[in-house]
Amino acid sequence: MNSLKKISGYAWAIVCFSIVPVMFIGNHYFSARLVSATGVTVSPWYSGGEVIRTVNHGTYKTIIHRPVFDGLIGKREDGFIQVEWMPVTALPRVIEDKIDFNGDGKEDFTFRLDTAAGTGTLTAHSSSVIGMIRLVKVKDGWVTRIQLQNIP
Amino acid sequence: MKEKHETEKAPPSQQSLVKSFLIALPMMALTLIIMSGGRIPSEPLNLLTLAVTYLFFNIMFFLMIHAGKTDRYRATVFITYSFLFVVSFITHMFEARGSMSLSQEKIILCEVPFCHLVIPMTLIPAAFTKTIIFPGSIIGGYASIASMFVIWIGASLSMGRGWCSWGCFFGGLDDAFSRIRKKPFIKNIDRRWTYMPWAILLAVVLTAAAFLSPTYCSWLCPFKAVTEFEAVTSFKILVQTIIFISLFIALVIVLPILTKRRIQCALFCPFGAMQGMTNKINAFEIRIDSDKCKNCKLCVRECPTLSMTEESLKEGRPLMSCMKCGTCVDACPRNAITFNIRGTPVSGSGNLKRLLFLYTAFLFLAIFSSHMIQDGLSRIIKLITTGSMI
Repeated sequence: MNSLKKISGYAWAIVCFSIVPVMFIGNHYFSARLVSATGVTVSPWYSGGEVIRTVNHGTYKTIIHRPVFDGLIGKREDGFIQVEWMPVTALPRVIEDKIDFNGDGKEDFTFRLDTAAGTGTLTAHSSSVIGMIRLVKVKDGWVTRIQLQNIP
Repeated sequence: MKEKHETEKAPPSQQSLVKSFLIALPMMALTLIIMSGGRIPSEPLNLLTLAVTYLFFNIMFFLMIHAGKTDRYRATVFITYSFLFVVSFITHMFEARGSMSLSQEKIILCEVPFCHLVIPMTLIPAAFTKTIIFPGSIIGGYASIASMFVIWIGASLSMGRGWCSWGCFFGGLDDAFSRIRKKPFIKNIDRRWTYMPWAILLAVVLTAAAFLSPTYCSWLCPFKAVTEFEAVTSFKILVQTIIFISLFIALVIVLPILTKRRIQCALFCPFGAMQGMTNKINAFEIRIDSDKCKNCKLCVRECPTLSMTEESLKEGRPLMSCMKCGTCVDACPRNAITFNIRGTPVSGSGNLKRLLFLYTAFLFLAIFSSHMIQDGLSRIIKLITTGSMI
């Protein structure tokens, strides 16, 4: 029994040593396998959630993400929606978009983006729209997050 | 003094020059292949930094084998790595975004480098929602989430909490400051403080799950002071900034100097607390031979992580918070403390067991840190020769 434990101990120690070069050399492979096996993604609280609609304005596009209310279990009362305009080189000086994010045919808010001044104005048409959280210029356009209240 | 001479013995793992060279030879070959990636750099600066890094690592490993001492050579590499990591990281940040502060753009585009300290907070949300609560890149890019998880799993399996003394790019800062004074100014630390990292771990894991936000990173992580942090654009961020700078000064600089202990790593870091559990699944452990031990408690006084207690001496092993730094092994005047392999008897084949552990841990350190050390070195050489690190 003691010999078996001893042999197992040394065998495990050699495996521990072997893990090191294998793990570093195969890091890209193992990373890809880990992601595909677990199916994990970045939380929508950071990524903005999946894109639900893209409105093509000819020279530029408005990209609307799904409203994010995701909680650990179930939905939260507060959330946000992310809207993007791109590409940055083709954006007009002022953009005014009416957004219907829940698909009920009624606009939920209007967002006016002044790309020259770097300011945004939110006009809420629905009680679920609370206010603008942030407006950020990114390398390929502008991104805003609008705070929402989850009204069933 | 006379008693000291009578009890102190030369380390049994001490080797002759030729034998040390032969034992270190496989490490020389492995590090050459992995550090160079199989090709010699054509640029003189890259060639120089590769050569210096390669020699530095292999001289330190050779000395570990030859002198039979672990901690002083480990610490030399580990501390160098941490300081050069900071140089390399900050320079990268300045190169990429012009400052150390995280821009809203990087957060919204999910391009924030991921670090292992976030891992405990991501586990519960990942289990429930299959998402990672961090604005980083899942795969690809600089310090991606999946890549760091693979390294963490590999480190946990190969050396358990040895990660904290052989892998963590922050640990060397704490380690360095804890070595400044010869004698501690504060000698007695209440053992109850060792529960602190568990309390912090519990708090950050629960709050992260509740708010779906990496709360330790936002509110507590002291290492933001030497990596990246949010630009102060609100009162909340100002408070967070004051907290992390104060914690860095207190836990990483002042308290380690005063106590000669790795206070941040041993008494605060929630990742370290969690990593302690991986010591249980790992093949390598520190053991105390009760037949040799004379209960002088030198190891209890010397352990920088408070992992040696009188109870652990009786049990013949340190606490699960042990970071396998080798301080106690080197300090023991009777060679009663050794690197051991789980399942094997404490006495006998001590040198083989030590070598197996050193090969595993040192190879990890060499591979993981070599690029950061090379980059840090090249930035310093650039600064000296051109006046700019970028």
